[in-house]
Amino acid sequence: MKNRFSVKIVGESGQGINLMGEVLSKAFLELGYYVFGYREYPSLIKGGSASYQLDISAQNINSSFKSSNVIIGLSRIALSQYLSDISDGGLIVHNVVKFQKSEAENHILKSKNASEEFIDTNSLLDKLNLNYRYANTFLVSLIWARLGFDVEILQEIFKEYFKERDDILENNLTCINLGFEEGSNQSLVEHGLDKPEKKANLEIMTGNEAIARSAIACGVRAFYAYPMTPASSILEYLANNAINTGMIVKQAEDEITAAQMTLGSMFMGTRAMTATSGGGFDLMTETISLAGMTETPFVCVLAQRPGPATGLPTWTQAGDLNLAIFAGHGEFPRCVLACSDLESCHRLTQQAFNIAEYFQIPVIVLTEKHIAESYFTKDTNFENLPIIRNLVEGKALEKLSPNDRYQFTDSGVSKRWVIGASKATFLANSDEHSEDGSVTEDASLAQQMYEKRMKKYTGLLKVIPEPTLFGKTSGEFLLIGWGSVKLSVLDAINFADKNVSYLHLEVLHPLDIAKLSNIMGRFKKYIAIEQNYLGQMSKILEMELKISFTDKWLKYDGRPFFVDEVIKYINKL
Amino acid sequence: MCNGCKVKYSDYYSDNIYTWCTNCGNYAIHQALKRSLVKLKIPPYQVLLCFDIGCHGNGADKIGGYRFHGLHGRVIPFAVGAHLANHKMPVIAFGGDGGTLDEGINHLIHAVRSNYNITFILHNNGNFGLTKGQVTPTSPKGLAMNSNPFGLIEDQINVCKFLLNLEPSFVARTFSGNIHQMERVFVDAITHKGFSFVEILQACPTYNKVNTHEKIYSKVYDVDELDDYDPQNLSQALKVSSDLDNKIATGVLYFNKTKKDFYSRLPQRLNRNKALIDEVKNY
Repeated sequence: MKNRFSVKIVGESGQGINLMGEVLSKAFLELGYYVFGYREYPSLIKGGSASYQLDISAQNINSSFKSSNVIIGLSRIALSQYLSDISDGGLIVHNVVKFQKSEAENHILKSKNASEEFIDTNSLLDKLNLNYRYANTFLVSLIWARLGFDVEILQEIFKEYFKERDDILENNLTCINLGFEEGSNQSLVEHGLDKPEKKANLEIMTGNEAIARSAIACGVRAFYAYPMTPASSILEYLANNAINTGMIVKQAEDEITAAQMTLGSMFMGTRAMTATSGGGFDLMTETISLAGMTETPFVCVLAQRPGPATGLPTWTQAGDLNLAIFAGHGEFPRCVLACSDLESCHRLTQQAFNIAEYFQIPVIVLTEKHIAESYFTKDTNFENLPIIRNLVEGKALEKLSPNDRYQFTDSGVSKRWVIGASKATFLANSDEHSEDGSVTEDASLAQQMYEKRMKKYTGLLKVIPEPTLFGKTSGEFLLIGWGSVKLSVLDAINFADKNVSYLHLEVLHPLDIAKLSNIMGRFKKYIAIEQNYLGQMSKILEMELKISFTDKWLKYDGRPFFVDEVIKYINKL
Repeated sequence: MCNGCKVKYSDYYSDNIYTWCTNCGNYAIHQALKRSLVKLKIPPYQVLLCFDIGCHGNGADKIGGYRFHGLHGRVIPFAVGAHLANHKMPVIAFGGDGGTLDEGINHLIHAVRSNYNITFILHNNGNFGLTKGQVTPTSPKGLAMNSNPFGLIEDQINVCKFLLNLEPSFVARTFSGNIHQMERVFVDAITHKGFSFVEILQACPTYNKVNTHEKIYSKVYDVDELDDYDPQNLSQALKVSSDLDNKIATGVLYFNKTKKDFYSRLPQRLNRNKALIDEVKNY
């Protein structure tokens, strides 16, 4: 494996693991490196064991290794859980007093030729009369020194972080200096990374922040949600920025309310959004059906985590594809998009609104905990898409009649206008209705209106993003995946020098059968890679394309696909 | 509400034929609603009427205005979302006693708590009509209906009394047999800034054989008839609202003008004059 290195900080929730991860990330960015930050943490406020793994490279990376070259350990429980993740020849530095390794642990360290070093941070901090919680800063600085980097970079980042907390900053700077001094006296750790070009404006960002920022940029003026991991950080980001943006950000009493408020605001003529995870989405499904019937645009971010029920609340999965595609009673057109990285979080959020408004349908934007909460390196500004609203405006408003709202058209799309903008009033009716929304039970009218709505699929297929083929355009094996799978598969292909093709689906519904058949027809064997038990995407492809898969690699243990596992898998092909 | 607008009763006319039962209270409610909108000079294109599912909702296409007919129990959060998107347009939501107090009771409580500036009108006929005669939380204990053939064993919710305990912004009760009172109460409710709750006691001529039109008529009185009634006195309102058996208090039972509505409390909307509907492309 060339030009990658990883450092994992492990400890208890509440020991400042995330802060250290972020600080270290920023320090690497300052040097021009790309980082990918992957967090594991339990569904607890304090205690348990948590980790923040930082993968570092001179090239752009978007995935984690299962194993780490350096592990910084701050608690016994966390060390036990993560000790086996050490790489061959790796280094574990920790401050666990009287760390008695089990036979199995000894065996792991021996077989991997890894070293374990204890640093007595308690005594050092006692001497300085500092709280033991500063051990994290001390150990991070020690490792920074052993990697051979400059102490000033770390100091500057802490100064920025604690610029309003002089006392905390001073204590941290003391620990940085002490840790750096200690580390400088120890042997150097060879990271083997290429020297990167120094780049301006590198920043770390989570997938959820990319979605939130994208929503602000495309004119979303209201956001309604109920807190649920891993969607909550969208709510948090938008709330924190509400004074500047003027966006109404409301924590609703439940997801039913959040969905209905979103629909109400969209109906009125603004852009509104909601976000939730699977359990909350369950509660929103009746509203999605209502959006389908009343032809009201609706956008929901569905941030997946493992279920069923409460499942593994703080871990990752992509098991809600069937839910997104099939949720809601009755039949109606919808669109299901799936993000994978920062760029797609940005683009697909904006595209979701354009599609929802143009076609007057519900759009579901899928993400996963692994995308939502992982820290990606952002090196460019993403372009905003033009805002497409498909609203009747200006003088044309005067010529409208109530029947225009649900008028039968070839495309199935009728005119829509902001409530109050025209004297032509209408009824948006959840009952089957005629062109002005009046209720009907007439068989032929009901059938015609049903078909009008379903016709939208024809136009929709023309504007949805095409599936992207990475690698050779024809060959023996074609890997097919969606969501976060792309991250580790592309990194594996880049780093393993292996010529494998990967087909990535961003639109999971509707499927462009012709395009998919054209791409897939050039390969002999198909392999699905998915983060769920049933192989939900592959089952849909089998059903729609009448094909079969040679293999399905399915993972549903709450962990993402790690790049080293993917390389191993590809090499066996 | 509309300077220089000429609004006529017939502006709210619809070609669709009513499908309610003979003697249903909804006819009078529509009449009073139209009269109040005309009185307030609100033309049909400057109001949003939101309907829940139930008999009242079947009237959604029998009246003018911008209208939305949504899902059972969900009319309040939908109307609130619409109101926040354009706080300049009056939003009036309607629900039945079943949808509002069974499936949607959480929305009602939170709407009072959040004090959104919308009007909510509860059609309370004490039973489910459209699903053909089942009990609701406002059905009297002991009532035998399709789902409870041996008599309802649960207690009745007195909705005005319940909401008054939440220190609401505006609570009124009226009777579908009194068009003049309904019109006056609707005007007050729509004009009030904050969450205005109006309960209409109405008969269901087909299914509710206990609380008939005549029986409700014989019990109701207007709080205006009381000598010393102060609708800004919460404890007085609680006291008069309690009795549903002998003398039933109607009229504007309580209002509090000092309570700010939700939108006015939003720090991010201070000094912003536009509504959200005008900000999508201009943000």
